[in-house]
Amino acid sequence: MKYIIYILLSFNLMTFTISAEETRQVDKHEHGVGELNIAVEGSTIEFEFMIPGADIVGFEYVAKSDEDIAKINQALKTFDDYTNIFTLPSNSLCELNGQKVALKEEDEHDDHDEHDEHDDHDEHDEHDDHDEHAEENHNEFYAKYSFECGNINAIKEVNFPYFATFTNSGELEVQFISNMGSTSFEVEGDEPLINTDGKI
Amino acid sequence: MLLKLTLNSLYARLLTVGMTVFAISLSLMLYMSVEKLRTSAYTSFTDTISQTDLIVGARTSSVQLLLYSVFRIGNATNNITWESYEDVIDRKEVAWSVPISLGDSHKGFRVMGTNNEFFKRYKFRGGQSIELEKGNNLDDLYDVIIGAGVAEKLNYSVETPLIVSHGLQSFSDHDDQPFRVSGILAKTGTPVDNTVIVSLEAIEAIHVDWSTGAKIPGQLTPVEEIRQMDLSPKNITAALIGVNSKLQIFQLQRWINEYPEESLSSILPGVALQELWRIVGVVENLLLGISVTVIFTTLIGMTAIIFSSLNERRREMAIWRAMGASPKVVIGLLMLEAFIISVMSIIVSTVMLFLTLYVLQPWIDNTYGILVNIETLAVKDIYIFMLFILSASLVSLIPAIRAYWFSINDGMTIKI
Repeated sequence: MKYIIYILLSFNLMTFTISAEETRQVDKHEHGVGELNIAVEGSTIEFEFMIPGADIVGFEYVAKSDEDIAKINQALKTFDDYTNIFTLPSNSLCELNGQKVALKEEDEHDDHDEHDEHDDHDEHDEHDDHDEHAEENHNEFYAKYSFECGNINAIKEVNFPYFATFTNSGELEVQFISNMGSTSFEVEGDEPLINTDGKI
Repeated sequence: MLLKLTLNSLYARLLTVGMTVFAISLSLMLYMSVEKLRTSAYTSFTDTISQTDLIVGARTSSVQLLLYSVFRIGNATNNITWESYEDVIDRKEVAWSVPISLGDSHKGFRVMGTNNEFFKRYKFRGGQSIELEKGNNLDDLYDVIIGAGVAEKLNYSVETPLIVSHGLQSFSDHDDQPFRVSGILAKTGTPVDNTVIVSLEAIEAIHVDWSTGAKIPGQLTPVEEIRQMDLSPKNITAALIGVNSKLQIFQLQRWINEYPEESLSSILPGVALQELWRIVGVVENLLLGISVTVIFTTLIGMTAIIFSSLNERRREMAIWRAMGASPKVVIGLLMLEAFIISVMSIIVSTVMLFLTLYVLQPWIDNTYGILVNIETLAVKDIYIFMLFILSASLVSLIPAIRAYWFSINDGMTIKI
């Protein structure tokens, strides 16, 4: 009798481990809240935007109609010129030396075809659950810009024409790190700038 | 001449003027102490951890993770497995890491399991390291290092034996495995002062005879046997992580947050601190609002006092007029009076503030771990002072104009 219980128990454990292997998790996704990560190291500063599609083009379904596709392409083109998104003080002498703009769609796999410049690891675990979420998809604009600056300490503020460029945009949640430590900002359209004085 | 007259006039009404100055000083002091505490609390909090790039723990809110891992406030919802921790630190971005295990206590102080790397990597106040004041590192399994606060409050010294209790508020002790103080840390002004530090292996060792939160009855493994056992940790509460390059930090953070085998969270300490401060900020603003209202009230009070003295002083005004003072001089006199009262109040309030802070500083530091900076006045305070003087002078225009009006109407004969 005792052994039967043990056997049953071990079965139970086995099924438990099997179900534990297929962990289910979904990324957070909030319309009206874009994320921005800024990292500073030496004379390099990097900006990484992750913005919900709704904030940029006003929809998040997979663009099928010509009109929607045109909107997406237009938006990607806008991201291609970073000055549409943010500006750095000219006396900081920053020069763009790497950039990557992509549309991440949860149920499509075409996002690797975009203008990849270097291989990041961020997009590989994205598509686990596309079967279950086929009709409830979210897309996200991803843009990363890397700068080399002659005088990085002159970046005392960063301005965001982003809010004027994309009228649907909500707020930007900014995570910021440099050798001085990390901090965060919340930027909104009525005051589209962050003050980085003393933080770089 | 005018100044001398005003000063003498004020001196003649020493009691009322004195009371006014005292009232205004108190309200200014209230405002300044709220400001001081606010900025000191912020610096104390931000100074608690520096140069740690990420904190990793079980999936939870960033503020909670920061609070329990760094400030020892509240508890972890879950621990993380050692396997996951190893997966994280095997990443190429990771330069160093310090595992932390929490959950037990000693006489109300939290016990933290970690390794000697902690003493090397944990930095506070812009990069300061923690230092041993007395004794040695954790060398033996049953060694503990205690913070300066623990040593002071419990009156412990090196070699003092101690017993770790199970959980944070429980009556069951790990009394079968006594520890001994091997070192005492110098004061840091951070929660480390109130922490009892043991090795991760010691945390495993004291739980050898425990299962699901309770002691297994009748089971008592001898200490010698425990020393021979494999005590490598099976889980930890959180880990402090440093990266090779800040540019890789968000990539690592995303990898950890999306780690498929276990639900993990990773936070940037400064970001979580800002988030916490936005929550606390509401209360802060409330306090500021209250103290600004108090200042405003005393300004009105000052005007009321000048007003009420006007009737008594109509004869005085008439004499001034008779002596040849123009109505403008009368206005000037009253404004000068308000100016002098406000300047005196500022001086008195500053002196009172610094005296109070000087007396209370050790107590605030001990009780709340907030080191109040009493050396200087903030630039902001000076602006507030100037604004206060300006508004006091402006507000005094109301009684002054009334006095001017009286003096024109009354001329030299007063009809009351």
